[in-house]
Amino acid sequence: MKTIQTILLLMLGILVFGGAIEFATEPVEAATGDPIVVIVNGANPVDDLSMGELKKLFMSDRSKWDTGKAVAPVIVVAGPAERTAFLKIVCGMNDADFSKYFLQAAFTGKSATPPREVPSSQGVKSVVGSSPGAIGFVKAGDFHGDGSEGAIKAVKVDGLTAGDSSYKLKM
Amino acid sequence: MKNIFRKFLPVQIVGFAILIALSWTAFAQQPAPATASQGEINQQLLDRIAELEKEVKQLRQATNQSSIQTPTPPAPAPAPLPEPVAIVEITQANVVADRLKLNFFGDTGYQIGHFYGPANTFEFGEFDMFATARLSEHVSALGEILFTSSTDNSVGVDVERLLLKYRADDYFAASIGRIHTDIGYYNTAFHRGDYFQTTIGRPVMYEFDDQGGFLPLQDLGVVLEGKVPSGKLGLNYVFEVTNGRAYGINAEPAQNSTDGNNSKAVNLNMSAKPEWVPGLAVGFSVRHDYLSDVNNLRVSETIPVFYAVYNSAKYEWLNEAMVVRHARPVGPVYHTTAFYTQFSRRFGAYRPYFRYSYVNAPENDPIYGDPTEIQEVGRVNGPTVGMRYDFNDHAAFKLQYDREGTTDTKSINGGSGQFAFTF
Repeated sequence: MKTIQTILLLMLGILVFGGAIEFATEPVEAATGDPIVVIVNGANPVDDLSMGELKKLFMSDRSKWDTGKAVAPVIVVAGPAERTAFLKIVCGMNDADFSKYFLQAAFTGKSATPPREVPSSQGVKSVVGSSPGAIGFVKAGDFHGDGSEGAIKAVKVDGLTAGDSSYKLKM
Repeated sequence: MKNIFRKFLPVQIVGFAILIALSWTAFAQQPAPATASQGEINQQLLDRIAELEKEVKQLRQATNQSSIQTPTPPAPAPAPLPEPVAIVEITQANVVADRLKLNFFGDTGYQIGHFYGPANTFEFGEFDMFATARLSEHVSALGEILFTSSTDNSVGVDVERLLLKYRADDYFAASIGRIHTDIGYYNTAFHRGDYFQTTIGRPVMYEFDDQGGFLPLQDLGVVLEGKVPSGKLGLNYVFEVTNGRAYGINAEPAQNSTDGNNSKAVNLNMSAKPEWVPGLAVGFSVRHDYLSDVNNLRVSETIPVFYAVYNSAKYEWLNEAMVVRHARPVGPVYHTTAFYTQFSRRFGAYRPYFRYSYVNAPENDPIYGDPTEIQEVGRVNGPTVGMRYDFNDHAAFKLQYDREGTTDTKSINGGSGQFAFTF
């Protein structure tokens, strides 16, 4: 009984002490609310993906589409707000956690391959447009207006489009 | 002069046709620009074709006009084709060749207290060289060489893992080689390389068998693994057939090239990672082996382990419990119980943690109670409290306090600091 009490007290101490550190050190970031559009190759029949499916696709936990094509996630390099927001909302991670996840996955012998990284949203669209199994994401503002709509298409997330008010994938 | 033009103009036409063909070939090999739509590109090409056809027509007309006295000016250089969007490949970290990735892990630190030994000391922990290679679409290889210090200050070298893996799809993969056994959760979640694990050192029940641990955590054999089609339940399986662990004084636990008996150890690990609770994994493993040694030891060993772990960006809560059952062909059955619980929460770069470990083996257990088989296990229990600080995503510092109680001796305390890193 005494041991259990000690354990509980220690756990409580950790939470209180850590909470104080977090409150003092973590910056508050304001969200702009701009939606992020998930895009796939125009030939990919998929129209809707759940958050769970998105996580599996970007974290190399699913290797094939239903069509049999190999899943090829592509992501913009670290830095842009849409990447930070996407990793946080979909994968529950920051950039460091995301890198560490793939390093640890390799260390445990899993066949996990990190997403292909390109320097810009334009690159994401170009790769997705030219690879049948590719999937990526861009800011809604970067999705339209450059004539690439034929090669890529936006998919719904949890049944919602980027224009819906309850769409969760926002910066 | 007339003859000269008759002779050269057809050559120019043919040359120009070749130039057009080459232009087409070159264009076909370039990726389509992402800044223009397919319709715009098609229109540009059609315009260019019309322009070139017009030039060819003019040249033909010139050829047919035998009265031409002066050479026609050279055709204007073709307009440049639209530039495709440059896709700069970002080099992946630790890729040293087309197929090879290489990582190193290391840790070093300082220890005080009787928990670690008679004197305070700086310590070199481990240096781990880890390589993976994709040999083909379905085949990969993994190798891990470990340099680790011993209590006699020597540095030992160990081929920790070496395996060849064939992966058909998400549902089936087969490996052969030297492995870390898939007993419970911790052993294959963290392997070597202290950098990944939150704490300094492993829970008592998962201490490596070549460093005083009592579970068979390293082995040689075949591993079959994959997902089980189960929708959002996320079931996974791992099945191993291995040589089993060697026992006896000075025995190398992993039977690398000579098995003490013909019976093989089998291990099944089933886990569920339900999609509706991201980060949760629950499961069990059951391993069975017949143990033997030069003294005609023959013991049936069964190791069931149950685990429930939760990992998120902030929280880590690991819980595992097991019973090791040892039975001779005749006589009593012995049970060794063990568990640990480990909890931590991240606050920015800081992660305070707590762990409580417990192991209790019967004194008369034919394996764990016999010092001629392995180091006696007995009862070992106690808390671990510490703080991890991540400098960046490649290096961390850990500060830890341990207290350990054992069957016959007074509880001992220890403090340690460790830098763990990867590069």
